[in-house]
Amino acid sequence: MTGIEWIQAASVLGAGLSVGFAAIGAAIGEGYTAGKANETLSFRPNLVGEILKTMLVGQAVAETAGIFGLVIAMLLLFSPMEGKSVLTAWAYMGAGLSMGLSAIGCGIGAGLPAGNACEGIGRQPKVSGQLNTLMLIGAGVAQSTAIYGFLISLLLLYKQLPMEMAIVPAFSMLGAGLCMGFGGIGPGIGEGAAAGNAVSAVARNPLTLGLMTRSMLVGQAVSESTGIYALVVALLLLLNI
Amino acid sequence: MEILGADIVRAFALLGAGLAMGLGAIGPGIGEGFAAGKACEAIGRSPQEAGLLTRTMLVGQAVSESTGIYSLVVALLLLFVV
Repeated sequence: MTGIEWIQAASVLGAGLSVGFAAIGAAIGEGYTAGKANETLSFRPNLVGEILKTMLVGQAVAETAGIFGLVIAMLLLFSPMEGKSVLTAWAYMGAGLSMGLSAIGCGIGAGLPAGNACEGIGRQPKVSGQLNTLMLIGAGVAQSTAIYGFLISLLLLYKQLPMEMAIVPAFSMLGAGLCMGFGGIGPGIGEGAAAGNAVSAVARNPLTLGLMTRSMLVGQAVSESTGIYALVVALLLLLNI
Repeated sequence: MEILGADIVRAFALLGAGLAMGLGAIGPGIGEGFAAGKACEAIGRSPQEAGLLTRTMLVGQAVSESTGIYSLVVALLLLFVV
């Protein structure tokens, strides 16, 4: 096999890993939201418009992680390969792993507040606006690690690489992708769990909205810390080359 | 292409650093989020105890964070020492 064939093989494998893993999280999150919406509609059929709107907005946020995976897969499939270093093959594999794995957590995490918002609107239809706002804040914070994964993927895709093959930079780029990919799973799920319970608590006691937003953000910030460690280690691995 | 033994050690140390920090971040992230979620639920039930509950949440999260910090230390050791 020549260098360019290795790069092509790595780009198709990376594209599959990116969109395949990313689809896991988005689908689980959206399914959870739809399940909660159906459950709520079974005893509140008159709120169908409001609940469907919240469900679709929440699912759209959960879908973004899957769309990031699709974008990286397309970039990998249609990137130019003529005259590139063989090291590009390793960079492409790292890019696919980074985006795909980090999107798993964010898809699940964005689905949890969306499902609980549908349930909460069934309980307290009057505060649906506040519940939607809190849901969007919480789900948005839960997306942050997918954005880190996207960033590391783009850095890997467009990095200038030395022409000669060497094992140290190759493993370094694969390690950066795995680091940010796996590192994004936990914070995404954890932040989503925090946001989900905050939305449920506001639906039970709407007067605590301000306090709850603050507590939720403090808890999510602590949960984010390991995602930031993973980003730092991935950037160190990339800068080492 | 000639591969030296030292290069292999360095390459696997870098891969190990990535795996250490990546996998090490999963547990603390989920665990801390779980603590934050339950704290939000508890504050919703008794808002007057918000200070106590936030403090307890942060103590619990700090303990949960420890394994993430171990992973970070090991990853940095693999990056800069090995």
